[in-house]
Amino acid sequence: MKTIKLAGLLILALVVSNLKVFPQEITGLQIIENVYNRPVGEDMTADLTMTLINSSGNERVRKIKQFSRDFGDVEKKIMFFVSPADVKNTSFMNWSYDEEGKDDDQWIYLPALKKTKRISSDSKGDYFMGSDFTYDDLGDRKPSDDTHKLLREEKINGEDCYVVESIPKDPDYMYSKTVTWVIKDKWIGLKKEFYDEDGVLLKILHVKDYKKINGFWIIVDTEMENVQKDHKTVMELRNIKIDTGISDSKFTERMMTRGI
Amino acid sequence: MESILKKILKVPYLVFIVIAATTVFLFLPMKDNTRMETNLDKYMPADHPAFIYSDKAEEWFNIKDGIIIAVENKDGVYNTGTLTIVKQLTKKLQKMPEIERDDVTSLYTADNIIGTEDGMDVRAFFKKVPKTKEKLEELRQKVLTNEMVYERLVSKDETVTVIIAEINDDVFTQEFYNKILAVTKEFENNENKMYVAGRPIVEGTLALLGPEDMKRMVPIVLLVIILVLYLTLRSVKSTVLTMLVVFISTLWAFGLMALVNIPIYSVSTMIPVMLIAIGVADGIHLYSHLQLYIRKHPETTKKEAVVDMLRSMWKPVVITSVTTAVGFISLLTSQVYPIKYFGIFTAFGVLAAMVFSLVLIPAGIMIFGLPKTKPVKDNKKHNNKFAYDFAEKVLKHKTVTLFITIILVAVSIIGITKVWIDSSFLEKFEKDSDIVLTDAFINEHFGGTSTINLILDSQEEDAFKTPEILRIVDKMQDVVEGKLQVVGNSFSLADYLKRMNKVMHADDEAYNTIPDSKNLVAQYLLLYEMSGDPDNLWKVVNYNYAKLNVTFQLKSDNSKAINSALEVIHTFEDDFKKHGITMNYAGSGYKALVFTDLILEGQIMSLIMTLIIVIILLAIMFRNIKLGLIGSVPILITAAISFGLMGWLGIPLNTTTALLSSIAIGIGIDYAVHFIEQYRINSVSNDKLVTAQKTMAHSGRAILFNAIVVIAGFLVLLFSVFPPNRELGFLVSFNMFVSFVGTLTIMLILLNRSNIYFEKQKEGKIK
Repeated sequence: MKTIKLAGLLILALVVSNLKVFPQEITGLQIIENVYNRPVGEDMTADLTMTLINSSGNERVRKIKQFSRDFGDVEKKIMFFVSPADVKNTSFMNWSYDEEGKDDDQWIYLPALKKTKRISSDSKGDYFMGSDFTYDDLGDRKPSDDTHKLLREEKINGEDCYVVESIPKDPDYMYSKTVTWVIKDKWIGLKKEFYDEDGVLLKILHVKDYKKINGFWIIVDTEMENVQKDHKTVMELRNIKIDTGISDSKFTERMMTRGI
Repeated sequence: MESILKKILKVPYLVFIVIAATTVFLFLPMKDNTRMETNLDKYMPADHPAFIYSDKAEEWFNIKDGIIIAVENKDGVYNTGTLTIVKQLTKKLQKMPEIERDDVTSLYTADNIIGTEDGMDVRAFFKKVPKTKEKLEELRQKVLTNEMVYERLVSKDETVTVIIAEINDDVFTQEFYNKILAVTKEFENNENKMYVAGRPIVEGTLALLGPEDMKRMVPIVLLVIILVLYLTLRSVKSTVLTMLVVFISTLWAFGLMALVNIPIYSVSTMIPVMLIAIGVADGIHLYSHLQLYIRKHPETTKKEAVVDMLRSMWKPVVITSVTTAVGFISLLTSQVYPIKYFGIFTAFGVLAAMVFSLVLIPAGIMIFGLPKTKPVKDNKKHNNKFAYDFAEKVLKHKTVTLFITIILVAVSIIGITKVWIDSSFLEKFEKDSDIVLTDAFINEHFGGTSTINLILDSQEEDAFKTPEILRIVDKMQDVVEGKLQVVGNSFSLADYLKRMNKVMHADDEAYNTIPDSKNLVAQYLLLYEMSGDPDNLWKVVNYNYAKLNVTFQLKSDNSKAINSALEVIHTFEDDFKKHGITMNYAGSGYKALVFTDLILEGQIMSLIMTLIIVIILLAIMFRNIKLGLIGSVPILITAAISFGLMGWLGIPLNTTTALLSSIAIGIGIDYAVHFIEQYRINSVSNDKLVTAQKTMAHSGRAILFNAIVVIAGFLVLLFSVFPPNRELGFLVSFNMFVSFVGTLTIMLILLNRSNIYFEKQKEGKIK
């Protein structure tokens, strides 16, 4: 009995001390995990406008209708091009798995060829549709892939943020490190800096706008700037609908061929 | 003028002090301000439409010149050792601060677009170096079946593979080159031989080698000139003072250049060449006159001798210098800034040399005394006799001389039609030099080390997604590659589309064509953007698909090769025009071609202008239009025969050799003016033969000395290790020789036949 009491006290002490200490001593990993696990709903429908801007200021605008749904161990996403006209109804489907080391499955449907083709690529380092975002940058990267360190706390854009440095465990990864500014109470990464293999600043991600939709914090407008190439990508989500109950059958090769 | 010179004569020390002080004043800025311009782009007129366009296109498509590093393994490149070298060297180059990461292309970095049963893949050829036999064979197959890489990165016989590092125009330095060589050499071993080539290397080495060789050779040239000058003048004092004139005028020219903060361009290294060839002339003519005067009046005081020298010589010295300077100033009409500067500063140097000749030499004589001339009577007689005999014979065999001259000029004119312009950098090197051999080696195994970029420009967005237009591009590439041996390869957006069309149809060769619809083209391109590196696309097409960059690889950088390719490419002009597409060119090879044309154009313009100005100036100075025409004869003959010889010997016109026509002008005027002036003075004898003989003994002698001195000096350049400098030495010597012979023979005959001074005197007598 005595020992049990003692153990109970100890546990209680531990829990209490933990509870007390937790807010101050949150670790880098916990912050990033909080961001990764921030609930965004089961599924989403949205109109995406992707604007690519090169160093001479030329713009290319792509309008896309996208549907996505998290099935737990796999996240499925399907996108249909609305414009430019010559790629209209071209569709792209991506299945991204939680399982360690399992590559994404990707398909593309080219209406001019009337064929669905699987595409695959070497790594997650690939850029998404010629933009400045890699698949990883779009939110695929798992917290366990990096070692995180809380650098400091800082106020930017009027928000109190944690500044976390993340260094990849894989030394051959395309970034040598990233630094993320995370809004304290919302777990939204507000700004992120990406450093290339030589440790030189490569890209800066700015979250321009986020909204509370259906009770979830959803990032709406983002801008990724490649400072080395002076190339920019602006992504804007409009007509966002959360949890409309998109069925599994939406994410099939057959649906890809249907168009919008 | 004479009275001013006489006044100056009274203060010889002051002259030395003033000149020395000015020299020091001009020398000081030289120490901090002198810099060599090695970036060839800085030589080109930035406001010329061809350059403006090319520069823009280079920016649009990130067109840069590539350093090519080849790895040769006689047993084939598909082995772990060679591939490790490729990977490690690629990584090392990517990390060099002078090279941007994405600008290094090798088998390690290249995209492999492959077809799979159910789709398309864009992958690296290898990430980890394959170690097993099967893996190596697999890699070999991947390369073999990819037209975009095979014969571009790996040679057909599979013994050579290349790594291409593109660099910006301004990064090449000797240190950088050495660094590249050192990094490369590190990897060399028994099996793998390493080679370094490419335009930046050729251009950079050339820019460094020429002046460096000059630095080595010029002291020897000067030494020989001093030596020969001494042998002809037979006086240390005279030799020193004459050379001082050349030295100080060169120093002033470069000092002024530094003062106004203009860098030294490679053509500027021709300024001392010009000033040596032209600057010694004044001194020689002055001293020659002085010697003859002392011989006649052995008891003369130095004051008397100098005054006599100035009285009879100031006029020809001024006339020759002013006309020569005008000739150089006419180079201002050139569109090329380094040539303009060359013209201005050489003209300044020539005028400075004139002032020093008329001021410094007399002052020197006043201070250091008359040169000791050994009054060897026999020798003098012998000299005169030779000159007299020569003049007599020339006049006696007029017809023969005339006939020979006409034949020579006629043959030269045929030769001139054979002259070809060459903007090649490579051909300036020794045929057996490392640079030429490496280049030949790579050309033998790959498409070519030189490139031309054809830029197709449409006003319409998405024009280059149109299959019709893309098919013309594809056909053009086929025709150019097929017709011309010298074009080894070409590359454009068409190659990407054909490759994708093929792999999307299960590697069926029948689909190695441009897709049929615009939408399919657009969708393939979108697909490529999704799976490959879109930056690769922006090297062949611009952001909105309105401009296309077609790269042709050539096995030679000479103008004949480039022009032959341009000619074939141009046969497609009408096809493109129908679609509202204009053709333009870009890249350093093309710019060099345009640049050379510009230089020549300017040079020929200036030659014609100078000729007209000289005729007018001489006509005014001698108050006779006929004399103006006769005076231009040595220039004409020298220029004609010099260009003719180049045509017959196959020496191409390039920036250096073209500038040599300036020497023909400078020297031709000198000889003609001195000769005519003496002829005028001697015509008081009222006997045509005696006048000719006396002139020959006086001016002819000085001209001979002048020619011997400069020819001897420049022949030294024949031992240069740098072929353009050898050509320079040969052509300067040859020009001197032709001017010399032309003046003493054909011009004498023309003077003789024209009866100019004699008619006047007759008229005078009648009156």
